[in-house]
Amino acid sequence: MSTEVKEIKKTSEPLFSKKNRKLLSDPLNDSNPITVQVLGICSALAITVQVQQAVIMSLSVLFVMIGGNVIVSLLRNRIPDRIRIIVQLVIIAALVIIVNEVLKAFLPDISEKLSVFVGLIITNCIIMGRLEAFALGNKPGPSFLDAIGNAMGYAWILVAVAVVREIIGSGAISLPGMGQVKFIPSSWFIAEGGLYENNNLFILPPMALVVVGIIIWIQRSRNTKLIEEN
Amino acid sequence: MAINKNSNGYTFLFSIIMVVVVGSALAYTSQSLKPLQKANEADKKMVDILGAIKVPATRANAKEEFSKYVVERISVKYDGSEVNTASGDITAGDKTDPFNIDVKKEYRAIISKIIKSTKKDPEGRKQRLGDAEVTYPLYVCEKNDTTFYVAPVVGTGLWGPIWGYVALLEDGKTFYGTTFDHKTETPGLGAEIKESFFTVKFEGKTLNTSSETVFEVKKGGAVVDEHSVDGITGGTITSKGVGEMLNRTLPVYVKYLSNTSNQKAQK
Amino acid sequence: MEYFSIFVKGIFVENMIFAYFLGMCSYLAVSKTVKTAVGLGFAVIFVLGITVPINYLLEEFVLKEGALTWIDPSYSTIDLSFLSFIMFIAVIASIVQLVEMIVEKFAPALYGALGIFLPLIAVNCSILGGALFMQERQYPTIGEATVFGLGSGVGWWLAIVAIAAIREKIRYSHVPAPLKGLGITFIITGLMGMAFMSFMGIEI
Repeated sequence: MSTEVKEIKKTSEPLFSKKNRKLLSDPLNDSNPITVQVLGICSALAITVQVQQAVIMSLSVLFVMIGGNVIVSLLRNRIPDRIRIIVQLVIIAALVIIVNEVLKAFLPDISEKLSVFVGLIITNCIIMGRLEAFALGNKPGPSFLDAIGNAMGYAWILVAVAVVREIIGSGAISLPGMGQVKFIPSSWFIAEGGLYENNNLFILPPMALVVVGIIIWIQRSRNTKLIEEN
Repeated sequence: MAINKNSNGYTFLFSIIMVVVVGSALAYTSQSLKPLQKANEADKKMVDILGAIKVPATRANAKEEFSKYVVERISVKYDGSEVNTASGDITAGDKTDPFNIDVKKEYRAIISKIIKSTKKDPEGRKQRLGDAEVTYPLYVCEKNDTTFYVAPVVGTGLWGPIWGYVALLEDGKTFYGTTFDHKTETPGLGAEIKESFFTVKFEGKTLNTSSETVFEVKKGGAVVDEHSVDGITGGTITSKGVGEMLNRTLPVYVKYLSNTSNQKAQK
Repeated sequence: MEYFSIFVKGIFVENMIFAYFLGMCSYLAVSKTVKTAVGLGFAVIFVLGITVPINYLLEEFVLKEGALTWIDPSYSTIDLSFLSFIMFIAVIASIVQLVEMIVEKFAPALYGALGIFLPLIAVNCSILGGALFMQERQYPTIGEATVFGLGSGVGWWLAIVAIAAIREKIRYSHVPAPLKGLGITFIITGLMGMAFMSFMGIEI
């Protein structure tokens, strides 16, 4: 990590210049990787049944994204053009393997639930897309910020979807380190004589898509310049 | 830069350096984290085994609780004869210790292949399963001066592997408790096999030691007797998978346990 | 019968799009017209049908614990499975490249139809997903692994052609402005996913 920090300091432009701040804020809304650029949906939706998994997944993506962006940006003048896609894939794959091994060693339960989806971070288009479009042509400092911005844009959608699905589907919220907190009293449930029942539909895969669709709807009705022609 | 980035030589050199650097970095990470990962797997196994005899354990205290309750570990052959026994501390990597038998792996590598290739030939299946070099682990537990036998079961649900542990009473045929788990069954339907409302149905039921089918998991809501339970409505294939996996390995333990109880009676 | 079951399961029950959301990026980006969707769909079938068996061989004879025993029995404890991600993706990327070159040379007509899609496919999650599911489910023979690859490919093709057909029609409907394009596609995919869930209980 220390070399990366030094690299950032070397850049002549102040790190938090207006242009660089935009790198951080844009992906959260105007160019959100999921809802606007349509990237990285594959691995996003299958693991949004619980908030906990979504958070861990987002952190993994953040790590891979920062690592990949900074490394590629540092090597950008050395990578041979002809094999640059393979080089990028190898760098990403190596980082993902590290994430996977660390998860297996320290968070075995979550690693089991995420199963193949950690591996699929490799083909998460956000990462490849940012490496191609940004890191290859920019200094490590801005690349670092770009990585954080995009990973955060990805993360908030993921966590938002997970919150909706877990509250309606399981009547609970789970946070890393706290386990699942059920906040709907059990006496409300039909089985106990109440009137409430968890909506199992929300745990099933298709509802993740519908929830994302609704998030897009809300986002675009507030930010009308994102509306598509047809 | 003086070097031509697009020359063949440079491209080769770059790839070689990349492969070496990445390869060694990954090998190092994997090697240094492997013991931790193995320990995690072992802890999970202990938690599951203890769950079958209704001892709530967590990953943190699994080892302690395991050594407190599990008195002996036995490995059994398909015909019901004993192969190895072990007790006390577990050494990771010791192949003779029944605890280190990876039932899931053996099931996938050997047993499921035999079952698939002998679909229409039950006698041949028995023959080949008997010949295969597979041993089945059994855990002898003691809780409040009662002896329980905990046997692992593995099988296939709708989407992927399912597995579990079954605790039998000393008579070797009455269910005391069960734990089931799954990798990717449908949430709300098949995935419910791990919930207590399903596992509790098994308690007190007995294995039908005189029949080929020792236990049945019927359709959700079906009429059941002492050798069967009803499955989960909407999770038919997963429930069926549970039934199949019980019949796959439990007969081996039934044979073993009836052998040993006969021996005890003779003494 | 086993093969048929795996094939049908791959298309309907374990559909890459509707059950696992794999390959969503290209699914959403290239589903505006049926014609391109058909092209990309065929390219996916093609690449999945080739890479899954190759990765299967890699898994069986190189990566799995004890897989190297065919070189020397003393290698039975070597476990290279931590390298599987990187090996799979390398195989996929190079096969895609190779296929592109071969198709261009020997089947220019096919290249005209699939060519522009092939580079897109290296980063299509469904291809890597196919390899990872193959590894996780441990198919006993290479035949079954291949059929699984083809089945998943056909399932993906079906999904993208179906959504493209709907998107062509929906242009003439009154969709609320903020939902136009991406939003409604997500919701329709969700509804199609629910419909596909009814295949879940089938046993073949």
